[in-house]
Order: sequence, then C-alpha cells, then structure tokens
Amino acid sequence: MQPKLKSTVRCTDGEVGEVRRVIMDPLSHEISHIVVGGGTAALVERQVPMGQVQGVTDEVVTLRGTSAEFTALPAFKRDEYVTTHEVEIAHLEERIHVTPGEVLVPFPELERSVKRRTFFANFTHAIGFLIGFPLAFPVLRYLMKPMYSPFDNDWLKIGNSSKIKQDDVGVQFKYKRKIKEAYMPEQEIDKNVWVLKATPKVLETIYQGKDMEFRDSAGKHIWTNKKDVPYIAYSGKCPHLGCGFKWRTHKTLGQVFLCPCHLSIYDAAGKVLDGPAPRPLDPLPIKVTATGDITIIDMEFKAGTKAQVRIV
Amino acid sequence: MDTTTQPTTTQPSVIEKVFDFVDERVGLKTLQAKMLNEPVPGGSRWAYVFGSVLLFIFIMQAVTGILLMFYYVPTADHAYASTQYIIHSVDYGWFLLSYHFWGSTAMVVCVFAHMSQVFLWGAYKKPRELIWLVGLALFGIVMGFGFTGYLLPWDQRAYWATTVGVEIMDKTPVLGDFMARFLKGGATPGQMTLSRFFVIHVMVLPAALMGLAGLHLFLFRKAGPAGPFRGSVEEIKAKTDYFFPRQIWKDIVGMVAVFLAICSLAFWEPIVLLEEATPDPGDYHPEPEWYFLFLFQLLRLKVFAGEFGQFLGAIALPGIFMALLAALPFIDRDPERNIFKRPIALISWIVVMASILIFTVAAIINREFLE
Amino acid sequence: MTGRETMSSFKLGLGILWPACWTALPIKMAFAMLFMAMGTIHLETKLGITFLMLLMSPVSVFAFFVISLGVGFHFGEGVGLPLLFLVSIPVDIWALGLVARTVFLERLRLEPPDSLGVALWVRFAVAGALYLPLLWVIEGGATDLARSIVKSILDMDMLKGLPVAERIGLEFTAWGSVSLLVLIALTYIGLSILGKLVEGKAAAAQPAGDNYQGLISRWDMIRVPADQSLMLTAFTAAGAVLSIVFWMVLPVSTPHPHECCKPATVAPAPPFDPQKSLSKGEKVLKDAEVKIAALEQKTAEDEKEKSKGGKEKAGAKDSSAKSEGKPSQATAGKPAGK
Repeated sequence: MQPKLKSTVRCTDGEVGEVRRVIMDPLSHEISHIVVGGGTAALVERQVPMGQVQGVTDEVVTLRGTSAEFTALPAFKRDEYVTTHEVEIAHLEERIHVTPGEVLVPFPELERSVKRRTFFANFTHAIGFLIGFPLAFPVLRYLMKPMYSPFDNDWLKIGNSSKIKQDDVGVQFKYKRKIKEAYMPEQEIDKNVWVLKATPKVLETIYQGKDMEFRDSAGKHIWTNKKDVPYIAYSGKCPHLGCGFKWRTHKTLGQVFLCPCHLSIYDAAGKVLDGPAPRPLDPLPIKVTATGDITIIDMEFKAGTKAQVRIV
Repeated sequence: MDTTTQPTTTQPSVIEKVFDFVDERVGLKTLQAKMLNEPVPGGSRWAYVFGSVLLFIFIMQAVTGILLMFYYVPTADHAYASTQYIIHSVDYGWFLLSYHFWGSTAMVVCVFAHMSQVFLWGAYKKPRELIWLVGLALFGIVMGFGFTGYLLPWDQRAYWATTVGVEIMDKTPVLGDFMARFLKGGATPGQMTLSRFFVIHVMVLPAALMGLAGLHLFLFRKAGPAGPFRGSVEEIKAKTDYFFPRQIWKDIVGMVAVFLAICSLAFWEPIVLLEEATPDPGDYHPEPEWYFLFLFQLLRLKVFAGEFGQFLGAIALPGIFMALLAALPFIDRDPERNIFKRPIALISWIVVMASILIFTVAAIINREFLE
Repeated sequence: MTGRETMSSFKLGLGILWPACWTALPIKMAFAMLFMAMGTIHLETKLGITFLMLLMSPVSVFAFFVISLGVGFHFGEGVGLPLLFLVSIPVDIWALGLVARTVFLERLRLEPPDSLGVALWVRFAVAGALYLPLLWVIEGGATDLARSIVKSILDMDMLKGLPVAERIGLEFTAWGSVSLLVLIALTYIGLSILGKLVEGKAAAAQPAGDNYQGLISRWDMIRVPADQSLMLTAFTAAGAVLSIVFWMVLPVSTPHPHECCKPATVAPAPPFDPQKSLSKGEKVLKDAEVKIAALEQKTAEDEKEKSKGGKEKAGAKDSSAKSEGKPSQATAGKPAGK
C-alpha cells in the first residue's frame, strides 16, 4: 500500500503532520520519500525516506523513531524537483496510487445501455468492412491488368534458307519485331534466332521421336513442329539468364553454341554440354515454304528454370 | 514590507502573449515539457544518435526527392533524358541528385549502425519487443527504397540491376511468379515496371515509413530509453540528463556530421549515368547497389547453383535470417543486457558483420574475373 | 559508494585516445574539406588513408612524416596535408586535455594536473613517431607474407579446381584474418604504451576530494564554455562564412558531364570572306544559266520534233548534244558576275 496524500503522519511519540507530497524514484518507479508538513513540522516540510516508514494505512503513516529524530531529517527543497506533468518518464503515472480517493466523470445516460453500445460497435465494424471489401476485387484486377498479357502468335518472316550452306551449323537470323507496350508508342526491337539445318541424327536427339507441340496457356493448340522437317530455330536467348549466345568452335567440344555471360555450352541439338544452363536450347515453331522462306512464331521463355515456361 | 515602493508589474512581451494564447488552447507548456524533458538514464550518449540521424536523413531524402520530381519524368522514353537534364542543365541539379544518391547510402549505413547499437545494448528485450519488430519492418522499407529508387534513372546499370533483382525474387516458391510479375507489371521489364517502381518509391514507401516511424517513436517513448547496459544505480543516476538539450545536442552534431559527409561525397563523387537502358545487356555485367552485393556474391557460390540452390541462397537463407531476427526478443529472454556477458550475441554479431563485409569485398574483387 | 575504477594500461590508453580522436575530428574535417576544396590536397588513396591519419593524429602527427620519408609511402600531393597536421596540433591538444581531465576525474578519481593536454600530447606524439612507423612496417610485412602464402596454398594442384567465387572469398578471409590479428595485437601494445604514459602523469596527481556526483558534475561543466556568447557567435560566424565559401566554390553545372550532354563548344563564327561569297554567288548564277539554257534547248527541240514527225532522231540528238555544249562554253567565256 502506498502512503496517501493528506494522511496523518505519526512518530512513536505522537503526530508530526500530514503527507503533503510524495517523491518517486525515476529509475525504480517506486516511492522513495514522503514530504511531511503541517502540525508540529509547521513551517519546515521535511523529507522522509521510505525506509523510515513503519506502516501505512489509508489514513495514517507511522514512522519509526521519535519526533526528535524526525526534526533531524533534512528539509525539503522544492526546486530540486519537478512534477510528473513536467517530465516524461515511461509508465510512471500508472504506478502512482497516492490520491485518497478517485476523480470521476459521469457516464452519459445514452451510453449506459450495453446492448446499445455493442450493437452500434458491431454495426460500425460491418460498415467498415463493407467499404473496404467491394474495393478489394476491382483494385486487384486493376493492378494485375498488365501482368498476364495474352501472347502474340503471329508468324514472322526472318529470312531465306538459302543463307544456310551447311548441315548442323548454326546460322543467326536477325529480325525486327514490333512491340506495343500499353500506351507507349510502337517500338521495333532487334531480335535474333539461330537456325540449323539438321541431319536426321541431330533431329532425332531434338525430337526424341515425337512431333513438338506448342499450346497456349488455355491448352489450345497453336502449332506442331513435325519431326521430319530438317529446319530448327532456337530462341536467341540463353536459358540460363537470357544472354545472347554465339556459334563458336570450342577447342575440345568442336562446333558449339557458346554463351559468353556464364559460359553455357550447347551442341547442335541444343543439348547442354557444360555450364550452368538448366535446360537445353528452346526451339520455336518454324515453317519453311517451298521457296525457302523461313517464318517463326517469336516466343520467349523464362530463364533459369528447368521447366520450359513461355513468358512472351 | 517596504510600502513606499510600487509593486512592479512587468507587461508580458508579444511573444509571451502569443505563447500563452496557444498554451491555453493546446497545453503547449505541458506538451513541451513532456516532449523534451525525458530523462535519459545513464546520460545522453553518442551511441544513441543513429535513430535521430536516420530521421534526419529521411527528411533530407524526401526534400531532395521532391525537388528532383520537379524535373524527372517516369516514362521509359523520358526517364533517362530527364535525369540527364537534371544533371547537366538544371542549376545545381547534379549536386542535388548526387546528394539524394549518397543520402541513400548514408541511410543504409546508419540503419546498420542503429540496428547494431540496439542489438549490442540488448534494447530489444522486454519490454521493447514491439519496437524491435517495427524497426525490422522499417529496415525492410529502407531496403525497398534503395531497390526501387535505383531503377528510376533508366540507364544500363539501373535497368539490369533491377532485372536481376526481380528475377531472384521470382525464385520464391508458389508466390514468386506472381510477385515478380506484379513488380514488373508483366512478363518482362518495361514501362509498366518503371511506373510501378516510381509509385512505390515516391508514395507507398514514404507513407509506410512515416507511419511506422511514428509508431516506432511512440513505442520507444512509451517504453523509455533503455540506457547503458552496465553501471551501478548510483552511477546511472549521477549521469542522467534530459533529452533536451543534451541528447538533442549530440543528435544534431551527428546530423551535421552526416550532412557534411553526404555533401562532400556529392561534391567529390557525383553521379554519372551509363548509357540508356537497352533490352540487350551487351558487354555490361549487371550488378546491384553496394548494400546488396554480399547477397549477389553469395549466389555465385557453387553450393547455390541451380534452381533450388538459387532459391536457397536468395530467398530461404535471408528469409530464415530475418525470421530469426524477428523472433530474437522472444527467444532471448535473459534480462542481461551487458554485451560482454552475452557471448553468443557478441560472437553472432561479429560473424554476421564480418560475413557481410567479406562477401561485399569479394564481390568487388570478383569484377576483375568476369569475362 | 562506487570506488575508483581499476584500469589496465590498455584500457587507459584506449579510454583517452578514442574519445580524443572523435572529439577533435569534426573540427579537423572542416579544415580538411576546406583544404581539399582549395585544391591543396590530392590523395593517392582518397578517403581511407586520410581518415585513418586524422583519427590517430595526436599520435600520427609526426609519424606521418616519418612514414612518408622513412618508409617511402606516398600519401598524396599538395601542401594541404602537412598544413592539415599543423592545424591539428592545437585542436588535438585541446581535445586530449578535455578527455584526459574527464577520465582523471570520473574514472581515476584524481585531480587533473595543469596543462595535462600539452603534456600528454607531447608524450603521445613522440611515442607515435617511434611506434607507428614500426607498426606500419610490421603490419605491411605480415600482410604481404600472409597474402603470398595463401596464394601459394591456393595455387596447389589439388585446390586449382576451386571455383572463382569460392576462391576469392577464401583467399580474402584467410589473409585478412591474419592481417587483422596482427593489427589487433600491435594496436593493443600501442595503446598499452600510451596508457603507461598516462599512468606516469597520474602517479603524481592528487586524489580528487568530491563525491561521485560532484566529480560527474565537474567534468560536465568543463564542457560549458566560460564565455558562451563569444563561443556561439564565433562558431555561427565561422559556419556562415564557410557556407558562403561553399556557395562560391560549388559549380553550377556538373564537373563530370556525360558523353550525351557535353556542353556545346561554340565554334567562333567564321569571318566574312568576300572572295568566297562572290565566287559562291558566281557559281549559283552559272548553274542557273546552264539550267535555263538547257530548258530553252529542250523546248526548241520538242517543237522541232513535233514538226518533223520524229524521223531524224539521231540527227536531232546530235544537234541537241552539240547545242547543249555550246551555251555552257558561251557562258564560261563571260566574265565573272558583278
């Protein structure tokens, strides 16, 4: 129990005054002293450490020692202290219970009905929910609009097969693709693919006896590369991290596709011979007309994954 | 009492009258006392300045950022040109942009300093767990600021650092693809990416930072400063002083020191852009900003090669580390705050800091080995 | 009642040098930046080494010169560097004095002797001039040795296959740790030496009589200047002057322009050349005359063809070719236009 303000202070031999003030220790948050005034203390208020307090009740604080010992205690110097309103000490006021009573404010008549309070509180929550809830869906769709654009499956003419002189040799075909992003003006970007005229052995490695089917995200069929067509077009982006690779002669592995970024090496069939590539080169849908014009569907696949996932 | 002298009544000055006017309505005097007269147990310390310095840096970033927005245009066809315009044609534009850039570095350095100080002083322990958690969220926001801001000049360095960074995020299982597409605004980086990064950098993150920083300060005030981790009660009491003016004085010296450091760096190492971003990296080797370099180098290790390895190194490991930091106040319940009596804490801090330093330096050395 | 703190020499040395360096640093940085802005300092290794030197300058003020001359390490060009160290001397004496008096009062419970700052500065500077070059040589040698040993280990056949990233990390960690340990050991010894020097001054000092709170209040009050308005005015004025100098020195446009936007070198307008413009005019007139003559010829031939019915085409062609040749010869003969 904490000593209450205005309670009587008694020594072993009689009353000495009342509790005028209470001093708290800012570190321990406990009452360190009481200041006793009035009564025999009269003009000089004295600072009494809590160690001197023997007992505390609601009305009386009993001190050890006599009145004489009390008068030997140091006088209270007000200007060495500030009130708790003039300083910020965390949680200090919660520890104070020195007022001999409570200070109250009346509860409004209308708020006395618990049923009423709970109804309006819950109704407020419901309305708050109904403000946010309908917005969630349109906002999500709004933000997600450009994230899953449909693919452009147009055939692009990239060149003529007369450019390919040898079998099983990579030939780069450069072309331009028109891109329109949202509201931006239409741009032409430079792209390239590597086309190979494959011998039956290489074809077998690529196709593994099955025609290559290309489907869109809904599963609808777009095109099938027949396994007996000798022309293969590889996407110009390395499946490791998307760098552009080249056709080079390696000192031990012969003629290969080599990516300069992280040294992934692929053979003519697109198989990974060395390096960090997670999957073989990506073949694209290809059509070759009777006159040798090569057309492809320009696709891009996610880099760095084992599975082939189309992204453009 | 001498009755011949007139009682002198000094008329309050105009300033005092205005002050009293506001005080009557706002409780200014009490408010001022409460705000400023906070006792700092054990006395104000230079080690405590980093929090206030961070607030100062943020304000400077906001000011320089707003100034930059007077000229910067966040579209793919104008971002580079408008940034170059700021650097070359606007008076002192080069200085303001460089200040903004070096300010972001200063912010990351001070965030590490502040977190280290709180960790070493054990000021995350009860009753300060919530402050620590909010602080971790603020750390994430600061990193987010650096990441999103880096893209805005739209030069090769900016574009490719962002591309690599978002691709790494893609490696998160289940949500990775969605998050990467959300940030990119599509399957590949482009105008949509720039718009999103701009909005996040300029509106979303500042709002989040201000809200959480306010909460952080409020919670800190409610718990009170932790003070030194050693010293007898008498020593602590003898050295205790108030937040104002003592700690504020140290805070402001810290602020001016950081301000001068950033100005010097802006003056002697101003920003120079590379060429405008192109979809083909060409000879350029992508690299993130310096405070992500350690992660970048970590992912080069063979143990993190392959799809799963990259996920492990880029997402799992950092994720576990952050989760550990978040759980720290709940795992470490020992009230002991003296760092020299917390060997696990001390050694862990040294190991983490040393590792980050080693990997960062290794990333810089590794530049010479790139073909 | 808290008693006097037992401080080892190392703790004492560290407890004085570390705060003294940081106390002096802001003032020295202001001078350093001023000298750099005036172009009197050009550093070999930019910020790192200067910062280190400034941080240690009560001990490095002479050592700096010993190392430059004796060991031959080139810090940089410019009169600004030695000037900076000269300026550091009074600042360091003040900082050392302030910090030492604080430590004497609070931790040693002794009355600080007079001119403690100067006394300690002299001792520290001499000790530094002797010890720091030694530290420099030993640390440098140890680092080089560690690096070469680690390199030769990693060059061994069985480790040759180590991938690049791993190799870099291991190499740096290996020689870095050795280098760091040597540095820590040398620093510990150095600080202990400084601590012993302080103990020498402390041995003659009287115990301070006050209680703990009194001691704290005393060193606290040392930090409040006797003449506050003078100090504040001087400080603010210096700051304002430096700010104005900064505005004058700061270039309006970037000192490192990019390729894209180099300021256009305005070529001086070529002086008016009468001969040139006249001959130019003459050429224009000539061309015009040829064109007109050709047109006239053409219309004449067309009429001829129409009347002849197009029979003698070859003849008409010949004559037209000849007649085309004539007007240009005729005009070439004309004198140059006025």
